[in-house]
Amino acid sequence: MQPLMTYSTISRPINSSASRALKGLIGLSLLLLTFSVQAQLKITTTTGMIADLAQNIGGQYVEVTALMGSGVDPHLYKATQGDLRRLTKADIVLYNGLHLEGKMQDIFEQMGRSRPVFAVSSLIPKAQLRQHGHFPDPHIWFDLSLWHQAGQRVLQILQQQDPKNKQAYADNAQPYLNEMLQLHEWIKDQVLSIPKSQRILITAHDAFGYFGQAYGMQVEGLQGISTASQFGLQDIKLLKDIIVKNQIKALFVESSVSPRFIQSLVAGVKAEGHDLSIGGELYSDAMGQSGTPTGNYFGMVKHNVNTIVDALKNAKPQP
Amino acid sequence: MTNDIWIIATAALVAASCALVGVFLILRRQALIGDAISHSVLLGIVLAYIITDSRALPIMLGGAVIIGLLTAWLSDSLHRVGKLQSDASIGIIFTLFFAIGIILISLYAGQIDLDQSCVLYGEIAFIPFDTLYIGNLDTGSGFDIGPRAFWGIGIVFMIVLSSIIISFNRLKTIAFHPSLALSLGINVIFWHYFLMTLVSMTTVASFEAVGAILVVALLVIPASSAYLVARSLKAMLWMAVGYSQLAVLIGYALAFWLDSSISASIAVSAGLLLFVTIAWQKVQSKRKVLQSIESA
Repeated sequence: MQPLMTYSTISRPINSSASRALKGLIGLSLLLLTFSVQAQLKITTTTGMIADLAQNIGGQYVEVTALMGSGVDPHLYKATQGDLRRLTKADIVLYNGLHLEGKMQDIFEQMGRSRPVFAVSSLIPKAQLRQHGHFPDPHIWFDLSLWHQAGQRVLQILQQQDPKNKQAYADNAQPYLNEMLQLHEWIKDQVLSIPKSQRILITAHDAFGYFGQAYGMQVEGLQGISTASQFGLQDIKLLKDIIVKNQIKALFVESSVSPRFIQSLVAGVKAEGHDLSIGGELYSDAMGQSGTPTGNYFGMVKHNVNTIVDALKNAKPQP
Repeated sequence: MTNDIWIIATAALVAASCALVGVFLILRRQALIGDAISHSVLLGIVLAYIITDSRALPIMLGGAVIIGLLTAWLSDSLHRVGKLQSDASIGIIFTLFFAIGIILISLYAGQIDLDQSCVLYGEIAFIPFDTLYIGNLDTGSGFDIGPRAFWGIGIVFMIVLSSIIISFNRLKTIAFHPSLALSLGINVIFWHYFLMTLVSMTTVASFEAVGAILVVALLVIPASSAYLVARSLKAMLWMAVGYSQLAVLIGYALAFWLDSSISASIAVSAGLLLFVTIAWQKVQSKRKVLQSIESA
């Protein structure tokens, strides 16, 4: 509002036609301003990956806030007083579901009775989810075909909640979701370029199950699904056997999990005379800093795939 | 706005319950029993999950309450029967329970997300969203009666308050003159277990409402502040509640101002109030010394 006020005071002494033009301009900009303010849907998401979906599909019509910033492990997220406001002021709340948000999910389900609060995973058929006992694995964003379904769910929600921009959302979503499918194929090709015996991905915790399933890699994690669970001696021995047997050349650390255990495992195997290194850092439960190449979903996926492929491909085939 | 009021009201009830129970814990040198229970409930959660194969809240809560009771009871018995210091017996029981919980997780539940913070501990900021309602909300015939945590902790507060009012004289005698209590024919052992039951119930219910760190802080800090200034048990109880309410209000304002975690801010405020009390006491005693020198 401040700059508009100064314009109108300046415009007074100038001749009438110029001032009329200026007034028209001011009116137009005011109109645009109110239009954009009214039209922007406030969307609050839990993870950065969902925020990325909502921003790309919503475009200029939405204002997206993620509760969990970059590098925040969803298992360890703590709400702030401001998060309460971000949730109450939101027109739409989007969360991952499948128990990724832990106890918060109960609250989202409760909120969903009276307000537009949705799980982006809700459209994915149960058969496509990996199950651990009765409980599904929540890390669906690592299989781009599943995340594509999450994207379609977001599009559907936006169109329902804001029908007058229905077409705009569809226009935004189409190229974005197409790119996602292309990326899906690209990853398949990339993984195929790794020698078959080397297609084993070993990371700190069990987040890459969907990745392995979709792109044909065997996935082993030091910790279970939850970063809070501990691992036993047996787990370490099993991993070591796999590494030695398959002559694995690289393990990976994750941005939101402490690299300490992987580092000590590498040191341990190396001490026994095997050639093993850390292949790089993967983004698992959170994206990188916004503004950096890994600060958006596609950047994060590409970074992960390139890191994995580079580290495992350079491995010499078995003698 | 209503959301803020619900959060402050729930936090105030948690704070008052914990402060009241905390007074007795401080006097019995068992201040860290809350922290102990916050760890040992892991075993309760894991056992409840293994038995029922479900992560539903009532089941988790049930497991947590039972193990919470066992922690409090057993550490008290170990102290009396085994003649170990009370802090040592707390340390023995809760680490044992926690460790068994970890072993059970890696044996049976390593593949799912199961720990206190994800299935039991509440988040105070989200209290207003988890409401109780009468009738059917979906058809519009029901209405909202406020957050579940508020009513849950409200009931606990009423139980704690009425227990203390009813048994005040007995608890007082036991706390300060256990041998006198015994000779008066008071069933000391019963009241020990009664108190431990109150403690365990309060802590587990509060964990579920507002999370662990705040509960541990509220059990220890307001009662300690009150211990420094109060001259009688009654005064100590009143002052502990006063300190805890002040901490809630200052803490919430702090969280609003800094956009930070509400429970951490309340815990920090409680700590600050304690330090202010100590500093004030030091200044007072110095002034008294100076006055006595002047008059002499």
